[in-house]
Amino acid sequence: MDLVTVKGLSKRYGGIVALSEATFSACAGEVHALLGENGAGKSTFIQILSGAVQHDGGSILVDGQDYRPANPDAAQALGIAAVFQELSLIPDLSVEQNIWFRHEPRTLLRTVNRAEMRRKTLALLDKYSFPALRPDQELRRLTLAERQIVEIAKGLAKDPRILILDEATSALPAREAEWLLKLTRQLATEGRLVIFISHRMAEVRAIADRLTIFRNGSTVAAHEANAVSDNEIVTQMIGRHLDRLYPERVSTATDLIALRVSNLSSGSRLTGVDFALREGEVLGVGGLQGHGQRELFQALFGATRATGAIELWGKPTSIGNPRQALTGKDGIALVPEDRRGQGLLLTKSVRENLTLSVIRRFTENGLLSRQKEAALVKEMVDFLRIKAGTPEQLAGTLSGGNQQKVIFGKMLLTQARVLLLYDPTRGVDVGTKGEIFQLMRDLAAKGYAILFHSSDMPELVHVADRVLVMRNGRIAATLEGDRISEAGILRAAMLESEAA
Amino acid sequence: MSAEQTVGMAQRPAEKKSTRPGIDWRGRLLDRAPFLVACLMLALIIAIYGSLQSGVFSLDELNLDTAAAMTLMLAATGQTIVLVRGGIDLSIGGMISIGTVIAATRFTDDPSTVALWSLVILALGFLIGALNGLLISLLKLQPFLVTLATWSILNGVAMIILPTDGGSVPSWWVGFASAQLVGLTSPVWMLLALLVVWWWFRATRVGIAIQATGSNEKSAFLSGVSITRVNLVTYGLSGLFAAGAALFLVTQTGAGSPTIGKDYILPSVAAAVIGGVSLFGGRGHLAGTLIGAFVLTLIGNLVFVLHVSSYWQPVASGIILLLSVLASSVAEKAARNRVQ
Ligand SMILES: Nc1ncnc2c1ncn2[C@@H]1O[C@H](COP(=O)(O)OP(=O)(O)O)[C@@H](O)[C@H]1O
Ligand SMILES: [Mg+2]
Repeated sequence: MDLVTVKGLSKRYGGIVALSEATFSACAGEVHALLGENGAGKSTFIQILSGAVQHDGGSILVDGQDYRPANPDAAQALGIAAVFQELSLIPDLSVEQNIWFRHEPRTLLRTVNRAEMRRKTLALLDKYSFPALRPDQELRRLTLAERQIVEIAKGLAKDPRILILDEATSALPAREAEWLLKLTRQLATEGRLVIFISHRMAEVRAIADRLTIFRNGSTVAAHEANAVSDNEIVTQMIGRHLDRLYPERVSTATDLIALRVSNLSSGSRLTGVDFALREGEVLGVGGLQGHGQRELFQALFGATRATGAIELWGKPTSIGNPRQALTGKDGIALVPEDRRGQGLLLTKSVRENLTLSVIRRFTENGLLSRQKEAALVKEMVDFLRIKAGTPEQLAGTLSGGNQQKVIFGKMLLTQARVLLLYDPTRGVDVGTKGEIFQLMRDLAAKGYAILFHSSDMPELVHVADRVLVMRNGRIAATLEGDRISEAGILRAAMLESEAA
Repeated sequence: MSAEQTVGMAQRPAEKKSTRPGIDWRGRLLDRAPFLVACLMLALIIAIYGSLQSGVFSLDELNLDTAAAMTLMLAATGQTIVLVRGGIDLSIGGMISIGTVIAATRFTDDPSTVALWSLVILALGFLIGALNGLLISLLKLQPFLVTLATWSILNGVAMIILPTDGGSVPSWWVGFASAQLVGLTSPVWMLLALLVVWWWFRATRVGIAIQATGSNEKSAFLSGVSITRVNLVTYGLSGLFAAGAALFLVTQTGAGSPTIGKDYILPSVAAAVIGGVSLFGGRGHLAGTLIGAFVLTLIGNLVFVLHVSSYWQPVASGIILLLSVLASSVAEKAARNRVQ
């Protein structure tokens, strides 16, 4: 019998229909993938299941019983736990306090039993072979990937019958993502239902037993995973046929050097990095996660202190802080890793997010020209095909892919022609991914110079003109032409390190 | 994933990061920097005070200063709970005034009457606080505005009960503040009790939920915390401590005053901030607040022994407040740079 059956589920946010007539059914012991473009309503669906928001219409049956949790607590009491896309962690608590939050083991004095909590934490981390975490570390000191892992531990700590993972792999480096896939299978074997949301087809292929596809808030199809092809899935997701994910790679690089970096170092994370990025080029930065890619991008953008020389369009530049790095046609613009934290003001509108940092461009004689602003915003929204009700919709309520487009728009409006893209497709659906790659190529053709990091190796292989492979904070190899391949990148990133 | 790749993953040089906790001393030091700065300031003030006045390093002085600081300490304890939750409570000013005027008009020489009215005052404090919390949750209003409004209302009610300073409390109630046990007066014992209760409270689930809500309300909600209940408890406790402050205050003044409460609103926030409690919620401890309250009180003594105009006291308090805010922001920046 099905563990969960959902019929005719609907949810509106004001005028925005997030879900309409969604159906879903899944049984215990399976991994059930939930697929759909950004904004299809997946997160809304799981927020309803986990009690974070309440639905307007339709019914949910769990174990044949009518189910309508008033809050996350009620859902957890019935054994339903979610690993939220936006994470539910408390920055000022430690890792273990976060994992057991509200379910802490207690002493006779009703205080938290720290020794017991430590023991249970280590047992949990051990049982599911978690990547290394320090239980006593404060959460705000962790990287995004580590936080994601803590969130997973927190979900598992409740020993749930139904565990929902909302794009949990999107914030994880390859090795940890692979661990999560194994874990997911293990949980299903234990008789739990895992509802798994991911934009990576390979992952879905690797672990899902069944899958349900959402489009525009409704269910379009449900399949046995092995009875349907990738192409069919993608077509059903986006409602049209997608010819190709990656645009044709026509190199538009000129001989003009847009960004020359010499001997860039920052602490122990970055040592003596040299490279040149040419006008019209898409230069990939690859290698295993945590070998200096993040530091490289931050140092270039002036967000961490670094030594060395940077030349922009032939002029030596000292890039002290992000504000300086932003200015004008000769500047640098960054798409940051943590778009919710660094890139976007979630409680501001799409318009404000686009224009706040370039407000000077709309001022005439010291007065803000609303018309000029509106025109540019409209141009950007159309150009990037940002799906928002109006430019006044709050950025925080957009789906992931559309948030990412807003960040792109913000970056383009600065008019900087050296673009640093740090994992710009993380958590973005296939359709939008394709659009972003095309956009990158179009920009390169217009003479922009693009430095591009992706945690998804095939993206580097198919999109970049050249790939810098980083290892231990250095550039271990520069791959060009035919030498760009996943195997090539991996070899440069790892194998030679054994000799060293 | 291809076979080659999977093998490769396994060979990846393991990131050396032990699951076994080693202690991150620098991180801890930076986290506590604002508190340590407050301790330094207190030490400095005591040193100056001690060099100008004899008998500063005595039990008597400790008893006296603690009694002088206790009203502020009680008020600031409630304020600390609210600040850790990420809110602010201005209404404590009104509650303190009401508490003193009720005590000054209802207390008689009969201990059972005093006990009854003390309970009434404390219950009133909790209820009014809880009402603040309820309004903030249900109407989704800013704590600043809601508690500003209740402050004004309470202030008015206090004026209606007792339009001018006056009334009286029994002398044995006044004597409470100088009652001694093994050389220490009751305020010093109260100080210790506050610390013990805080240490206990912060380690309970409710205490952690309050801190978590201050740290990130959305996450706390998603984790199943009832924000309404948290607000009810936090503001309720704040009102309760304000009522306690009022009961203590009348041991010092011996009378009621419908306007005295406002003198504790901003100092209660200042004491907490000087002690390292973050105005953004989620961080801070009562020990810091109590030190902050001592700092603010001793500044008064210092101004007195220096024989300068007493108007220098608020000036000095303000400068100290600025210094501690500066210290915590410097420490925070240092801590942030470390993470990168
Ligand atoms: N709090 C909200 N307010 C307004 N609109 C929202 C809110 N949450 C989600 N939406 C809208 O609902 C739709 C579905 O979003 P979501 O469930 O997050 O999609 P997905 O997870 O599939 O990418 C989107 O159009 C999004 O903009
Ligand atoms: Mg989503």
